[in-house]
Amino acid sequence: MAPSALGVGRTPSAPLAVHLSNVSRTYGPVRAVDGLDLDIPRGQTVALLGRNGAGKSTSLSMLLGLLPPSSGEVRLFGAAPQRAVREGRVGAMLQDGKPIPRVTVRELVRFVASSYPAPLPVAETLAIAGLDELAHRRVDKLSGGQAQRVRFAVALAGDPELIVLDEPTTALDVAARRAFWEAMRRYARRGNTVLFSTHYLQEADENADRIVVIDRGRVAADGPADEIKRTVGGSLVAFDLAGAPSAGLALLPGVTSVEVHGDRARLRSSNSDATVMALAQRGAIRSLEVAPASLEEAFLALTTALTTAPTTAPAPARTQAATQRRTAAPIPPHAKEATR
Amino acid sequence: MITYITLEVRRTLRDTGFVVFGIGMPVVMYLLFTNLGISGDDKRETAISLMVGMAAYGALGSALSVGTGLAEDKTIGWLRQLRLIPLAPSHVVAGRALTGSVIVLPAIVAVLLAGRLINHVELAAWQWAALLGLLWIGTAPFTLLGLGNGYLLTAQTTGVVNVSCNLGLSIVGGLWIPSTNFPHWLRAISDWTPTHRFADLGWSITEGHAPGLLTTLTLLGWLAAFGGYALRSYRVCARTA
Repeated sequence: MAPSALGVGRTPSAPLAVHLSNVSRTYGPVRAVDGLDLDIPRGQTVALLGRNGAGKSTSLSMLLGLLPPSSGEVRLFGAAPQRAVREGRVGAMLQDGKPIPRVTVRELVRFVASSYPAPLPVAETLAIAGLDELAHRRVDKLSGGQAQRVRFAVALAGDPELIVLDEPTTALDVAARRAFWEAMRRYARRGNTVLFSTHYLQEADENADRIVVIDRGRVAADGPADEIKRTVGGSLVAFDLAGAPSAGLALLPGVTSVEVHGDRARLRSSNSDATVMALAQRGAIRSLEVAPASLEEAFLALTTALTTAPTTAPAPARTQAATQRRTAAPIPPHAKEATR
Repeated sequence: MITYITLEVRRTLRDTGFVVFGIGMPVVMYLLFTNLGISGDDKRETAISLMVGMAAYGALGSALSVGTGLAEDKTIGWLRQLRLIPLAPSHVVAGRALTGSVIVLPAIVAVLLAGRLINHVELAAWQWAALLGLLWIGTAPFTLLGLGNGYLLTAQTTGVVNVSCNLGLSIVGGLWIPSTNFPHWLRAISDWTPTHRFADLGWSITEGHAPGLLTTLTLLGWLAAFGGYALRSYRVCARTA
């Protein structure tokens, strides 16, 4: 039955597709999500990045209205998540479901599409998800990668304004992954909002306007990929100590951390020019290398810093940095196109 | 919601286990019990009363299987996925119950056809129609019992509990062996079972009269009880899922 027959009108346009305000979820003594704040303007593509157990899936479950938060507020398009779902504005692809038995791909997609007020044509959904040739096959007889494409088709079938994808490219091979992101970009270009969680840092970097790093149920960092890389010490400066002592390196201009492996020192620096100048004055430039910090390193630096903190509260400096980033100017929709 | 029911009915009818045990088994048991070692008037009477009993048994199994399927869907995450599309939760529940009302039909029809075509049971046209109609409507309490189990229990437990309900209620209700053969105390229990009263709807029709008031009231009582149970189970499931 079409939702319009239920007497539910669409909620008035809200500027935010997603609004999470101080959302927490506890399981007994465990705080899976701990005061999460997240605002996503319409049209943005956001990656939720975090390790296993960081609180990504719990956050997405609350965001979709599957799980009530212990405290805090969740709104989708200015309304309760259940309402946004009932209005057909949300499509989602969960990670934990197994394929349903004894239904063909086409039957499943047709059924899901029929529940939305303005779905994509079934043939188009199947084509986008690369399922043309599997349409008559039973969902429970597909390979892992094929089943993943079916989940994608289910999320897309209703042509929703917001699509939420929990680790969407798991089990996809390289070609399927590329095809998936191409389809996702096409979908986002039509003004839709995309929120996906991932372990693949490069994937977040390449496909999202904005990356939100989640650790221990909190936002550890939030911003464009470049900004995140910059905030954790934009560059890595490495050189051979050649027997010289490593003491004092941490005091050089720009240096935020020092690692010494054997004879090689690796400095993380927020100002690599100043660091290199200072090293040159010390004559410590044997096999000198300067490289931008990879997103992977940024991610590890952010999450391990919190994990190794002695108390559950993150280091004050980190909290402050995260807060600053969160209150930074919002990224305009389609910033991705503009920056490419 | 029609599309949802279509989907679920299709899934059920593609289940080999459902077709073999839900439809095939009652027919085979009916033909065995009515054609081995009995003859004459005995055979004619048994052919009629057991036709009703086995149709009821088949309908009971099919109705309960709605719950078994539901519990499986809970485990694989299909119920969660349904909460992420615009289909209202109340429509999902109603759709499941209506699916149950559709999938009980094949077993009832198959046993009645076996009675008519193979055992040459002769009834008036209105009796056939009333028999089919009453056996169909009368499955409602069992669909609700199955749904209650499915919402409340895990997939494995639901399977075991539903099979126990199926066999226990069939035997004690006198669907396999007439309760007139039971010892007195068991017969007293049998009279109050939903299955006995369910089959009694059919037996009264084959005897040429409308179901008695006590049968109707007892069944309505069970309908209310299983309805309450299903609702409570649904709430527990909605809280924990």
